[in-house]
Amino acid sequence: MTTLAFLFYYITPYIAVVVFFGGLAYRVYLWWQKRPAPAHLSLFPRPQNRLGRLADALVDMFTLKGLLRVNPLLWAGGFIMHLGLLFVLVGHIRAFTDFYFLWKLLNWGKEQQHAFSAIAGTIAGTLFTIPLFYLLARRLSGAVKWLSVPEDFFVLFLLIGIALTGFHMRLLRTVEVEELHRFFAGLASFRWQPVPESTGPAFIWHFALVQLLMVYFPFGKLSHIAGSVLSKMVARS
Amino acid sequence: MLTKFLDTVRQRITRPLQYYQDICVRCGACIDACHFYVASGNPAHIPAYRMMLVKKLLQRGGNGRKGLLSWYRETDLADERTVSELRQALWECTGCRRCSVFCPFDLDTALLVNMGRYALGQEGMGMEMVAEIGNAEVSKGEIIDALKEFYVDQIRELEGRIREEWGVPDLRIPVDEPARVLYVPVVGEHAIIPLAKIFHAAKESWSLSMFTATNHSFFVGDIEKAKQAAHWIVQEARRLGAQVIAYAECGHATRTLRNFWDHWFGDEIAGIQRVSVVQLVASYLQEGRIRVREGAFDVPMTYHDPCNLGRNAGIFEEPRMMIRAVATDFRELSPNRELNWCCGGGGGLIAEPDMFEVRMKAGRPKVEQIQRTGARWVVTTCENCKTQLADLSDRYGLGVEVRGAVDLIADALVV
Repeated sequence: MTTLAFLFYYITPYIAVVVFFGGLAYRVYLWWQKRPAPAHLSLFPRPQNRLGRLADALVDMFTLKGLLRVNPLLWAGGFIMHLGLLFVLVGHIRAFTDFYFLWKLLNWGKEQQHAFSAIAGTIAGTLFTIPLFYLLARRLSGAVKWLSVPEDFFVLFLLIGIALTGFHMRLLRTVEVEELHRFFAGLASFRWQPVPESTGPAFIWHFALVQLLMVYFPFGKLSHIAGSVLSKMVARS
Repeated sequence: MLTKFLDTVRQRITRPLQYYQDICVRCGACIDACHFYVASGNPAHIPAYRMMLVKKLLQRGGNGRKGLLSWYRETDLADERTVSELRQALWECTGCRRCSVFCPFDLDTALLVNMGRYALGQEGMGMEMVAEIGNAEVSKGEIIDALKEFYVDQIRELEGRIREEWGVPDLRIPVDEPARVLYVPVVGEHAIIPLAKIFHAAKESWSLSMFTATNHSFFVGDIEKAKQAAHWIVQEARRLGAQVIAYAECGHATRTLRNFWDHWFGDEIAGIQRVSVVQLVASYLQEGRIRVREGAFDVPMTYHDPCNLGRNAGIFEEPRMMIRAVATDFRELSPNRELNWCCGGGGGLIAEPDMFEVRMKAGRPKVEQIQRTGARWVVTTCENCKTQLADLSDRYGLGVEVRGAVDLIADALVV
């Protein structure tokens, strides 16, 4: 194994994880350095008590109900993309371990597990990917093109790249899930294991783009994962 | 160019403003929200674009040179075009916060505009007239003792006129007297007459403030002066032992009263209830302290939710209750409440003669909305809105009459 490959498989993943979490924490720390809001920036109507407001902010965050009311098409694009991403992330738990409990409960064998993962994974990936193309088309048309900067395209292409390389492994290769378990569990426990081979070259690209995404995440607009909680709370303060 | 602007913005950027500009994903949900953009098609009027402009200028770095990543961040140099766009982005906004309702993150463009306006003012690109009125409101408090006699004379004369016209010889307009309610009007007797009648009918213990609710310093983002101007009213209320401060039908003043005063004055206003006079009058109706002739006005009428009373202060139902009490034909605008279109006259634009054409254009969505209802009267509860709606009616030949909700109640009182 060359030095470069060694660094890529066994060193940079840790850097990506540290930058991702550290970067987000640093982002929030930078926000906290500024003076707090100069007033109640509430939008009305809002729930009467604090608990109600917190609940409303969370519900709005997970459903984007406010956007649904004013722009159903954009809501569909944004919400379905995030929902697909959530499903995809849940599915990726299988890279580290497996849903042993679930398989046992359903009394599913290897074959059934594989078929289910193929179907669910493809659906989740599709839910994630199609809206990305809609959001891309939206960026290029109408008034939204005035608002589009290189970052917007960078992030969209990055996500589309991750999705397509993922699809390559899901649809065009037969991936041995045990190989992935071994490799990623090894990374997580610092007991490094051989690189998976059944995945084909798409894995290299997929893994690289995800690391790039994690490193970029805290420094651009994707920090909305942290900031939207704050802005939704302040709009109900 | 724009050095003072950028220095001021860097000093004044608050926590929400920082994360607003960091997390805006430029999704464009706000495009359809802004009446300025809908009427003009000018990208500088898109709320997210307003935010982008300031963000790009800030990213330029202290030395004004372009950096390695300038192409990626599209860092703007402060050229003529940027300056002109910035001027449009920050002044041609009514701070109505309709875009915040549309935004999936509830980002508050009005907060940016308010701060940005102050920074533009440092650069000599302010709204002079509005700032001047703001200064006058601040200095009024320093010379109030000298003005008092003249003011009281005028009020006595007005009082006499109302007694005669209304046929109620014991009606009083107390000024500078201890009372439960301190009523703070806007400039002009139209803000005093209806309330004098209603307070009389409700047998309220009240006093008329010697100041005005309006706070023009707020429009130009000068929060220190805005605080100072409002502080005269706090002092007056404490001197008179008022338990309630009621602001006239005035949008930005009601918003500052309800949403900013806690931050501005803290314990100094503890125990003093702060309301719009609309809420107070609605409570009189509800409690039966005043009575009105039901169906007194047989005219199709609609209600325009002022941005600052509606989505910015949560006063939606009280005015509707007042209108229903006296109207036979009440029609809602569509959309209404927190999604209502701004009239296009807020944010201080009314007070700046140069802005007349701008606000006439920005009022177009409002005009179409009113036309669709077929109403003859437009009722509203904000002084800015009233002026703007009357101007719009003239300009676009709407032929509607603009009325305040408290006027309706005062004219339909049963005494």
